[in-house]
Amino acid sequence: MTASPIGDSVRRRDAPDKLRGRTRFAIDRGEPGMLHVALRRAEVAAARLLRVDTAPALALEGVHAVVTEADAPGLYGVGVADHPLFARGVIRHHGEAIAAVAAETAEQARAAAAAIVVELEPLPAHLTMAEALAPGAREIHPDWRSYEELVAGGARAGNVAWEATAERGDVDAAFARSDVVIVEGTYATGRQNQASLEPRVALARYEDGRFTVETSTQYPWAVKAAIARQLGVSPAAVRITVPPVGGGFGQKFESSIEPVAAVLARQTGRPVRLALSREEEMRTALCRENAEIRIRSAVTADGEIAAREATVLLDCGAYGGEQTFLTSLVTHTLMGSYRLGAVRLRSRAVYTNTAPTGAFRACCGTYCTFALERHTDDICAAIGADRHAFRAGAVIGNGDVGPTGQVFEGDVLAPMLARMNELRERRPGPPADGRLYGTGVAVGTWFIFAGPSAATVRLNPDGGATLITAGVEIGSGSLVQALPQIVAERLGIAPGDVTVAAADTDAAGFDMGVGGGRTTVSLGAASRGAADEVRRKLLEHAADLLEAAPEDLLLADGEVRVAGAPASRRTIDEVVAHAHAVSGPLAGDGSFTGPGLRAAPGCAAGHMIEALDLPVFAVHECDVAVDPDTGHVEVLDYRVVQDVGRAINPRAIAEQIQGGVVQGLGYALHEEITFDEHGQVRQGGWESYRLPLASDALPVRIALHEGAPSVGPHGAKGAGEVPILNVAAAVGCAITDAIDRPMTRLPMTPVRVLATILGHEQPPALPHISTGGGR
Amino acid sequence: MGVAFVLDGRSVTVEPPTPLTSLAQVLRETLLLTGTKLACGEGFCGSCTVHLDGEPVLACLTPIALVDGRAVATVEGLEPDGHWSALQQAMAERDAVQCGMCFPGMLMTLTAFLRDEAEAGRAVTADSVRAALTGNVCRCTGYQAIVEATLDAAFDAAASIPGPEART
Repeated sequence: MTASPIGDSVRRRDAPDKLRGRTRFAIDRGEPGMLHVALRRAEVAAARLLRVDTAPALALEGVHAVVTEADAPGLYGVGVADHPLFARGVIRHHGEAIAAVAAETAEQARAAAAAIVVELEPLPAHLTMAEALAPGAREIHPDWRSYEELVAGGARAGNVAWEATAERGDVDAAFARSDVVIVEGTYATGRQNQASLEPRVALARYEDGRFTVETSTQYPWAVKAAIARQLGVSPAAVRITVPPVGGGFGQKFESSIEPVAAVLARQTGRPVRLALSREEEMRTALCRENAEIRIRSAVTADGEIAAREATVLLDCGAYGGEQTFLTSLVTHTLMGSYRLGAVRLRSRAVYTNTAPTGAFRACCGTYCTFALERHTDDICAAIGADRHAFRAGAVIGNGDVGPTGQVFEGDVLAPMLARMNELRERRPGPPADGRLYGTGVAVGTWFIFAGPSAATVRLNPDGGATLITAGVEIGSGSLVQALPQIVAERLGIAPGDVTVAAADTDAAGFDMGVGGGRTTVSLGAASRGAADEVRRKLLEHAADLLEAAPEDLLLADGEVRVAGAPASRRTIDEVVAHAHAVSGPLAGDGSFTGPGLRAAPGCAAGHMIEALDLPVFAVHECDVAVDPDTGHVEVLDYRVVQDVGRAINPRAIAEQIQGGVVQGLGYALHEEITFDEHGQVRQGGWESYRLPLASDALPVRIALHEGAPSVGPHGAKGAGEVPILNVAAAVGCAITDAIDRPMTRLPMTPVRVLATILGHEQPPALPHISTGGGR
Repeated sequence: MGVAFVLDGRSVTVEPPTPLTSLAQVLRETLLLTGTKLACGEGFCGSCTVHLDGEPVLACLTPIALVDGRAVATVEGLEPDGHWSALQQAMAERDAVQCGMCFPGMLMTLTAFLRDEAEAGRAVTADSVRAALTGNVCRCTGYQAIVEATLDAAFDAAASIPGPEART
């Protein structure tokens, strides 16, 4: 009997074509007769839109249609419906779409877009959160009161798109205790562009009264819903299909350009393709948001954290988007990881006249972990504690209570810290070249976005199975490794005999998207459930054929055997043929969702995630050398202990960790989106936006921590999102250790590190964020 | 204006819109060879790397007129006899691929690099592979599996002929 495919480092089935250049991503597709789209975008950050005249564009050769806000009446959003597809009466950010042109060639479309006459009356722009929150500041959405709330509970006012608050215990009493020291810190972190090599791209058709959109997305069902909402049509009239996705990293978790292609396809009756240029992606991507954090803690001499409070501002840009959701996650990351006596947190998504931000791998968790772990090191310094020993004693464990009152199950972080102590023993020593040497350790808490998933499994007459889901392969490998491994294990066949259907919302049931570390957990559990139903039916038919009880049967290696009677066996093909003769083809459906844990009464307001259904933990540590003359940072060794529940495919997980850490090094050290005085993103391409290169990367040393509780299949947890969580934290703590001055901003560029060494850069003042974070 | 060149061993003639139209655009939009990617279009990511007369060039910055009478090799032509190269094999065995968008360019850069190092009799090291990849961006993998697969391929190539230890 062959081994179970669970825990086996099965290779990717999509690698051969990807290594031959044959894989056709959405950017590589098209069809005869298709039209090309160009967007007319705003060239100011804030203005009244007085007049849009499309006639000059329509008069040009090759132009088939021009659409504006009148053609897409709906507003969309995550927490609040505040976002029109095209600017409606007002420009809220540089690069905002005003109109779209479909023409025979891309050149014609661009020329026509430029020919559209746009008359504007400029308004003062709020390019920073401090400006947007200043007393009397102009409201970026004067109609905010009239917006539909898609989720109830977020406090909204003026330029605050969404506010979530958490409170547990008597914070004021704890801060007033005579036996505590109070440690406070402020942090400011930058925007990060996802920079997937494949841009956002969609190809839409309108046939038989329905839209079919082939697109590069992580979340087909969200695109379906967004098109329906913005075009004012039934979701049933929208079909989404997804070829292999050339990188997403969270940006493609939200619909963005697809409705534009859809409305133009309906208007023209032709296939319509919209592909963003790299410059458009740099200037309008739904980046990881910049943020500002004030945090303080009351800590006793022996390391008890009596209370912690914080205020966090997330820059959502011109529209609320994912940040209305992410305010919840600030609670669980910034107030996570440690046992806290009392908690008070205010987390606000703030409108500014900048491009809207969105989701990017571990989202707000990256900067909350940076702030939390730098703050933790400040606490250690204040009470004279060892950084490792303090963490070992203070991290949450079995039975400890989280910020919103949930009770955590299992000791996970403490044994992971112990494992890190072992990894540390094999590190290289400090350099002997005059550079400053430091070490940083960071713990982190993130979550698996469990949510609903559906799967169907069919067992075919060839003995193989077909798995049908709305999951998409974005590069992480879950769809080509973990999912077929899970199905194969249930059906006693090889993973290679499980065909995985490409996502098609006409064929597959609902799924909440590939992101949030949820694919292996939620789609995995749904797929396992579907395979279980097939397995049960298969064994019933086999029992019939073999004249044995189903419970006495063994299913493995493509055949069914009777336990203890090796001669009594049938191949799966034979059993399927029997089923076809008796009752018809074999299929099963599976579905899964997270239980949706609630906060303790009164502990959380405005939270879309009140408690963590499935927490996931990570411990990172690194050693750095800092050049005191230039501020240049070299990471000498990087170590990760990651909570994976159970590793379905250990090598694929290790590759996710390696890639996530290097992406995190970019975030920590050099990637940053900034704005000029007109509100335009300064980094228009990859010359000025510095992505990590091979020479910036190093081999990450990895230990997988198995055995933590999980509702995932075989006890698995998602492993692709969390690797980036702690990187800026570990590097920031290491640089601070090396230079003996506090790093409080991201990214930690050489200029910024040198300025900190020289005392020219102080922690951000953040006068617009009050002390006493909860009020 | 017709431009005639040899593409992956076959003669082709194209009528580009302008002499300055990029080779990458001609490959992708005229010849429908979409293996050559175009991620940044400005010469910073390397995903469009092809060989021009055997040397790696950025197809996005190569005007089609400069290709006239010359030989272009793309990722689609990496296995003319139907067999994977040692590098492709090593990438698959290491499970190095993730989203896959950068791999065509990576393969073209590294194929030329391995050939040049072998011809010069230089040992391939992790550092020399990383240096060779300076012009190729990967957003998924963190590069390590790519570096290791390249070392594997160099080792396999070196093992088949007598010579100095390739893997250091």
